[in-house]
Amino acid sequence: MRIRMAILMIALPPALAFSSFLTAQSVPAPTGAKAQQPGLMSGGIPDLNGIWNPDFRGPEGVRVNTWDPSDPFATHPEKAPMTPWAAEKFKGVRPPFGALQTFDNTNDPVQRYCDPPGVPRIYMYPWELTFLQTPKIVYILYEYTKVWRAIYMDRDHPKDPENSWMGDSTGKYEGDTFIIDTIGFNDKTWLDQTGHPHSDALHVIERFRRVDRDKLELSVTIDDPKAYTKTFSATKVYKLTTEPMGETLCAYSEMKEFQENVVDRTQTPPSK
Amino acid sequence: MKRILLAVLAAVASLAMLSGAVMAHHGVAGYDLTKTITLHGTVAKFDWSNPHVVLYMDAKNESGEMQHWTIEFAAPVHMVRAGWSKSAMKAGDDITIDTHPSRNGAPVGISSTITFILKTVVNGQALPSRTE
Repeated sequence: MRIRMAILMIALPPALAFSSFLTAQSVPAPTGAKAQQPGLMSGGIPDLNGIWNPDFRGPEGVRVNTWDPSDPFATHPEKAPMTPWAAEKFKGVRPPFGALQTFDNTNDPVQRYCDPPGVPRIYMYPWELTFLQTPKIVYILYEYTKVWRAIYMDRDHPKDPENSWMGDSTGKYEGDTFIIDTIGFNDKTWLDQTGHPHSDALHVIERFRRVDRDKLELSVTIDDPKAYTKTFSATKVYKLTTEPMGETLCAYSEMKEFQENVVDRTQTPPSK
Repeated sequence: MKRILLAVLAAVASLAMLSGAVMAHHGVAGYDLTKTITLHGTVAKFDWSNPHVVLYMDAKNESGEMQHWTIEFAAPVHMVRAGWSKSAMKAGDDITIDTHPSRNGAPVGISSTITFILKTVVNGQALPSRTE
């Protein structure tokens, strides 16, 4: 972990400088200069650097509670294509979101224990993310809970990766799309706000594409044969922003206080 | 047929809005979003912290009895982006605020999620608000 932090500390300053350089490059080229295609860095690599805010108001933005395209508003989360193993696990969830939401002793691992949200649930939250592209590692910094991921561009997955909250991620560019392949998860996180489970065989594919200067499209594909009978995908949209990322930590003491002072008191039967 | 279609569209639209509203930290099923009440009273405490900003205030009910209300807002980061700050109000300030009350009758309300901020006036000054 210390080594990774050290790498981050060393990599961030040049990456930020690189990012500023790229911003400068996006200024229209003088007449006669070779025009650079918008959204691409030198070498034709998609330029994703910057701060991105989820567009939760647009038609794609409301698809926040589930990745199941047949149930975008999570009105029937129990109908997701779960295997018997996952369906049994799903019966035990008490989510604070969606059609089956409950606050009676919720067992949402994020809300109850401040567990890391994992991937892809991190994208279910309405907070910003920042891309920092370096040649060997692409970093994604998430505003929500201040977690970050390193996407390795120069290696494959380990043969037997550790089970982790955010997985082991490798990346590649294909045309105008940045593709992230992630495995090596534990099975402690939920896929979404409604409590859909996953196994340690979860395989997530993220496809980021900068549709235009201000719009970043993310397509997430869930592949988990232990938990789901088929793969499924959904899309979210982010907008370029100049608003710096703030502090949205999940501090257990604050979470507990809020739960007791506010959430619990709105439940039936009423408390004081 | 057209009426049914309109009803379905309205239902889908409200579901979509609800879906947007619930994405922050938890669902809002505990609140009656179709009902808005106005409270007038005094700020007891303004708790500017995660996961949500919370206002504690004292206000008299229709019978003239003093009640201690708890009002939920969006996360601090989202309130900042909407133009609020931790010094938006302090204990002792006069406040008039609209809120969606809890369904169970407890003196708890929600006046902001990431998608809306209801009308809030502190010492005669209106704070930034927005509708969905």
